[in-house]
Amino acid sequence: MHELSLAQNLIEQLVRLAAEQHAGRVVKARVRIGPLAGVVVDSFGFGFDAVKSMFAVTCETVLELDCPSAGYRCLVCGREDDQRKPADAPCPDCGEKGKQFPVGDDELILLQVELEGEDGDKIAG
Amino acid sequence: MCDQCGCHTPVDGNPAKETKETVTLTVKESLLAANDEQAAINRRHAESQGTVVINLISGPGAGKTTLLEKTIDILDKELKIGVLEGDIETERDAERIRSHGIPVVALTTGGACHLDAPLVYRGLQQLDDLTGKDALDIIFIENVGNLVCPATFALGEHFRVVLLSVPEGSDKPAKYPRAFLTSQIFLVTKKDLLPHFDFSLEEVKSDALGINPSLQILPLSAASGEGVHDWIHWLREIVKDRQPSVVAGESLYR
Repeated sequence: MHELSLAQNLIEQLVRLAAEQHAGRVVKARVRIGPLAGVVVDSFGFGFDAVKSMFAVTCETVLELDCPSAGYRCLVCGREDDQRKPADAPCPDCGEKGKQFPVGDDELILLQVELEGEDGDKIAG
Repeated sequence: MCDQCGCHTPVDGNPAKETKETVTLTVKESLLAANDEQAAINRRHAESQGTVVINLISGPGAGKTTLLEKTIDILDKELKIGVLEGDIETERDAERIRSHGIPVVALTTGGACHLDAPLVYRGLQQLDDLTGKDALDIIFIENVGNLVCPATFALGEHFRVVLLSVPEGSDKPAKYPRAFLTSQIFLVTKKDLLPHFDFSLEEVKSDALGINPSLQILPLSAASGEGVHDWIHWLREIVKDRQPSVVAGESLYR
């Protein structure tokens, strides 16, 4: 549910950046959502589309999301896997069941923006 | 092509791409930057008065308000306590706390599922108005009852405390890891109900420590009083230790 607030934050960041750079339009914004950021990616994209039309500079902005998947670590022996195993599948190393936990970063970062100048002006930066 | 007005705009929505220059900028700024900046201001504001700020997070009904009432009754003779009471609607919890005779500010979010740092800043200022020059030792922020969203928003707290009650089930740390990942203290509340529920203290502890190995876990019951002593002891210690470690410590949060 907090994804809409986060999308609003992003839009505010983009509007500010566009003003700082004297850009007429934000063409693209690239955002990284870490696997443990606690953000539902679809809801975030939905929120972004809902909010972006509030500003002329963002109303056509394309959102690009970089969402690496989590790794999974066995709590008992520390074995790491790329995929989550079913809860009843034993760990290949130690045999424990249901002890896999997601690991990864919780970053939520605006990585890059593509800006377009006003009336063909070149953007400083 | 644009399928709305026939203007021959390409579907990526850029009608004059060929005539306008674009520039790509590397930004690398957190989406939470504005909130985090305000949270840092909140923390410094509290530190300037020597106040320790504690953010309480749990699902609805885990017993945050009841534990606060119990805590205030035990500590209000020795420590000056204030509360920021977050709720989506109503001032019911704020009224409950206020009846214990301590300064309380209700932060009604009007729908939002979490508190954020700007709202807490306004609350801190109102709390200042209530207490005057009499600085508080501890400010508890009771977050909106929600084990998910509040975990993403720093409020300027020195310590984050997550509560999980026995009736909610011992599988919650595994299902809602972020609140446990970002907290320093985990209170298992309503411990007196253990005989009546299929709740494994062992499971909850091992799962929570799997997510956050440095998490301190205290099972307690505000109703029976069991375990409350450990919580009170922890609070006394952090107030005692606040010079200089807590007051100076940007790094104490996370």
